[in-house]
Amino acid sequence: MQVQELVAIVPWNFVATICNLFIQMYLIKRFLFKPINKVLEQRRAMADRELQEAREAKKSALAMQEEYEQNIARAKDQAGEIIREARRTADSQSEKLLQEAARQAASMKESAEREISREKRKAVTEAKEEIGGIAMDIAGKVIEREISQEDHQKLIEEFIANVGEAS
Amino acid sequence: MEIDITGARIFYTFPFEIPILGKLQITETMVISWVVMLLITGLCIWLAHDLKVEHISKRQALAEWLVEKANRFVVGNMGEEFRYLIPFVAALFSTSLVSNLISLVGLRSPTADLSTEAAWAAVVFVMITGQKIKTNGVGGYMKSFTTPIPVMTPFNILSELATPISMACRHFGNILSGVVISSLIYGALALASSALFGLLPGVLGDVLSGIPFLDVGIPAILSIYFDWFSGFMQAFIFCMLTVMYIKGAAEA
Repeated sequence: MQVQELVAIVPWNFVATICNLFIQMYLIKRFLFKPINKVLEQRRAMADRELQEAREAKKSALAMQEEYEQNIARAKDQAGEIIREARRTADSQSEKLLQEAARQAASMKESAEREISREKRKAVTEAKEEIGGIAMDIAGKVIEREISQEDHQKLIEEFIANVGEAS
Repeated sequence: MEIDITGARIFYTFPFEIPILGKLQITETMVISWVVMLLITGLCIWLAHDLKVEHISKRQALAEWLVEKANRFVVGNMGEEFRYLIPFVAALFSTSLVSNLISLVGLRSPTADLSTEAAWAAVVFVMITGQKIKTNGVGGYMKSFTTPIPVMTPFNILSELATPISMACRHFGNILSGVVISSLIYGALALASSALFGLLPGVLGDVLSGIPFLDVGIPAILSIYFDWFSGFMQAFIFCMLTVMYIKGAAEA
């Protein structure tokens, strides 16, 4: 078997090696770099997309939180308003009730006073009549004679008038 | 005991002559470099099949690590504008590495033939020169030989040519020295083995001294340096120089 020189540049080997190097470059590019770079690119795109989504989700969550806070604040305001309204209504009602009660009490007192004075007048009138009757009887017994109905009445009235003046 | 260290074998010589290049010969270097190419391409196909975006396999992780490493090596040393050189540098590195390491399975490294390194260095030299011309223009490139003074021109041309020659010879010398030293050690250990077992009396000694027992194991330890370390180092240095020279050419 023939052999090459140990240290020599063999033209055909030289040419073949240059060709081989470029063929190898293409093969590596085609079979390793292209698919792997594609996958790496896909992963990068996916990561970017997920980051973007996360960012958007955070943004919408913050917006939602703000909305909730606003709603809660509004609800608190409304609740305070309602309570104030209720208190005002209650105040005015109780005042009305108190006024009503006072008016009723006043009217009751008034009617009671009216009743009392009427009763008093009635009692006075009755007493007058009673006293008149008694006086008549006494007078009758004293003078032992019957006087006419007209005289009788006049006498009584005079007497009562005198009694009334005297009393 | 004779140790014969020769160049690559020639398997077949075509009978016709081609001008300049001489007779076309199928050499050991060529055949084994095809084996190397098949190995690398097969490895690439195996590494990059069935790729997924999520839940990747260890194989895919390794493939991605290699690609990222190559990307970072080129882009980190040269910058983003040299991204197109990544496959070239990767091809150079992987071919060199696998060629160096293929001696581990008993084949002759294609890198133990100066033609291989000379071809790579020539390609790199063309790229460096091309980059220089692209950066400075043809006039600027020519003028750069006369700096700092016109007297320096021959030395500048010499130093320009020294770049590919030194690159080729550095790589070749390391691998060839590995081949030479390995052969010497195999021979020496075989001799030592036959001397050692020859001490045994009678037929036993005659039979055992014919078998180079010491050649088992001991050369493997030395191959950690001469094949593994040197193989990695030279592939790395060659690519590093390639990257640095082209980067330097782009800056000048």
